[in-house]
Amino acid sequence: MYYIVAGIVVAVVIFLPRMGLLALYQTYRAAQAREKVEDALKHLLDREQQGRYASPESLGGTLDLPRAKVMTLIEDMEEQGLLESRGNDLHLTAKGERWALHVVRAHRLWERYLADEARMPLNKIHGEAQKREHSLTEAQLNELDAALGHPTRDPHGDPIPTREGKLNRAEGMPITAWQVGDPARIVHLEDEPALAFQQILAVGLRLGQDIRIIEKTPNRYVLSDGENEYKLAPAVASNIHVAALPESEMLKREAIPLFELIHDQRGEIVILDDAVQGFTRRRFLDLGLTPGTVIYPELKNFFGDPRAYRIRGTLIALRKDQAAQIWVRAVDK
Amino acid sequence: MENIQPNDVLAKAEFLRNNLSTGFRDEIVKSLYSEAEKIARRAVKTADNKKYDFDQTVDRLVTSPIVGLPIMVILLGLVIWLTVSGANVASEAIATILFSFGDLGKNFFNQIGAPWWLTGFLWDGVYLGLAWVISVMLPPMAIFFPAFTFLEDLGYLPRVAFNLDWMFKKSGAHGKQSLTMAMGFGCNAAGVVATRIIDSPRERLIAILTNNFVPCNGRFPTLIMLATVFVASAFPAALTSFVAAGTVVGVVLIGVAFTFVMSWALSRTFLKGEASAFTLELPPYRRPNFGRILYTSVIDRTIFILWRAIQTAAPAGAIIWLLANIPYGDVNLARAIADWLNPFGLLLGLDGVILLAYIIAIPANEIVVPTMMMMYMGAGMMIDGPSSNAAIFDLLVHGSGWTMLTAVNLMLFALLHNPCATTIMTIYKETKSWKWATISVVITLGLGFLVTFLTASVARLLGWT
Repeated sequence: MYYIVAGIVVAVVIFLPRMGLLALYQTYRAAQAREKVEDALKHLLDREQQGRYASPESLGGTLDLPRAKVMTLIEDMEEQGLLESRGNDLHLTAKGERWALHVVRAHRLWERYLADEARMPLNKIHGEAQKREHSLTEAQLNELDAALGHPTRDPHGDPIPTREGKLNRAEGMPITAWQVGDPARIVHLEDEPALAFQQILAVGLRLGQDIRIIEKTPNRYVLSDGENEYKLAPAVASNIHVAALPESEMLKREAIPLFELIHDQRGEIVILDDAVQGFTRRRFLDLGLTPGTVIYPELKNFFGDPRAYRIRGTLIALRKDQAAQIWVRAVDK
Repeated sequence: MENIQPNDVLAKAEFLRNNLSTGFRDEIVKSLYSEAEKIARRAVKTADNKKYDFDQTVDRLVTSPIVGLPIMVILLGLVIWLTVSGANVASEAIATILFSFGDLGKNFFNQIGAPWWLTGFLWDGVYLGLAWVISVMLPPMAIFFPAFTFLEDLGYLPRVAFNLDWMFKKSGAHGKQSLTMAMGFGCNAAGVVATRIIDSPRERLIAILTNNFVPCNGRFPTLIMLATVFVASAFPAALTSFVAAGTVVGVVLIGVAFTFVMSWALSRTFLKGEASAFTLELPPYRRPNFGRILYTSVIDRTIFILWRAIQTAAPAGAIIWLLANIPYGDVNLARAIADWLNPFGLLLGLDGVILLAYIIAIPANEIVVPTMMMMYMGAGMMIDGPSSNAAIFDLLVHGSGWTMLTAVNLMLFALLHNPCATTIMTIYKETKSWKWATISVVITLGLGFLVTFLTASVARLLGWT
């Protein structure tokens, strides 16, 4: 009798739909499989954006999987219509690309949320977003997007895909069309022809670097990032695409961080750092730290941090870390 | 115009949004502020501003790198000294009145022939518990709260947060935690609620879990009694109140030190993370409104907390009386439990009665001292409390085997032990999690046991007892 009851209990615990151990294990396995597929899709998308195609080797390296498992994964994904192998190249299908963009969007929105609202340190957000990017549906993601105020870039500056699955790439122009002396940011490195691409990498230029042209002759271009000089043939240089620095970057060049003001020295707020978003930015704005406002340090305590600043007649204490994110221009009394 | 569907509006909004510059929110706020400034310039005239200069002078003084921190400690000492010296006299007066009224009641019950257990239960149990709590708690609260509310009303407390923020930042916590600690002096449950002013959930949890290291008003009587009876009695009578106040300040500072250490430890273990953004407005000083100070400190705080204490003291008095009058073998139940707890108590440099008192006092810390006294004085049959400090000293040292170690460890234990039931419930309500409520108990009780065990062991090793 007791054995029968015990047997039934055990059977229920194991086989109960949705709540049973077996069901839980299946859910877990399904989630694992989905995560693997999504990570693979991200890798493929990443490669395609760099203008190359992923291969079974590169995929195995990224996902840290042995070759046999990679091949099964690729077969599964081909069956689901997410990718096509052409020779050694793996191409995303339209369906695969849509899904990949969904995951990228989830990841970058999560990063935005973790950085701005949960106020997690920047070096932690990538790992956390990696864990969370697989769990949201399209509708939930749209809600998150709206709650965050439709951000266009993640905290690292990468574009967030729109809900229609568009990835707005930074628009640039070949550096050969750029004015000598104007600061610019490298937004794209053309990898065809491969020889030119190799040469660009060989001199040490990289994506995201801020540079300016210091010399332009029919025979060569000399670029500088302030420390090093890079010499390139015009044909090679035309493979570098640049865009103007963001406006905030330009403004910061003329400004100093607030904490550098000495006691009683007036400063006019130029801009709040782009790194401050979400909750902290709203708080700054609420306190009246808007561009154009005059501010000066008034009180210092035993430890020298925080300091209290006078702004519009009120006294507001800021830690050095916060004062470093407010850019000011020294002005006379 | 007639056929616009909601979806068209959404689509248009979507289209327009894509063309917005990223800083449009900043622009909105900026335009609001410039409009407000325009209006203010038209409407407000600033004449020669004496108040402003005065504020600046005071601010420079209280936040000064040199005297800022000393001023803080002196103000704390002053408030505690006022409480200690004033409360002593008043407590004795109130105790005399309440206890003599209790005698009258007992005599009356005896005369009308009520059974002994009813008289004992009502007058020696419930009434005596009440009388003790009122006479021990009311005077310190009636002095401490108005003094504290005065500083609060003045606008001084944000300056404390400003002065101490650096240390909180180093411990991975938020400077506003010092404001919640200040609330904790009144009542830890109130301090836990006050942590809502901290925005970051991580830092708020740190503030909640460490709030108990600030001795609340219910624990001050214990500290004051011990400081007066044990520490101050070794000094000339003229210095008594200063020494007692100094001792209590010392204990409070130890609590503050534990707060920093524990915040630091928490932000490296359970609550890993970096200090978040800190912005704090330092409001101008205001002329304190004495009517409001009296009202908030007497009605909102003193009466509220006293009423809560009374609610728990009456049943606790009844329980003590019952424990003391239910026979168990040769002795009564209270003694039996105390004897059973005694070895563990001695290991911590305390004794069984103290531990039992703390168990009975879980609902409210205020009744720790009365419970202890009642049990030492022959368990519930106490006619009147020890009327002077010398009598208390005599009772504890000669009657109950206390040493200096017991007094010191009891002060430490009073500072570190678990939060009262109300505070635990408040932590649960504020965090919506039994996990954090449990952790708050484990941390404090564990630390209480650990520290008292260490001091007791060291004292014994060095042969101080």
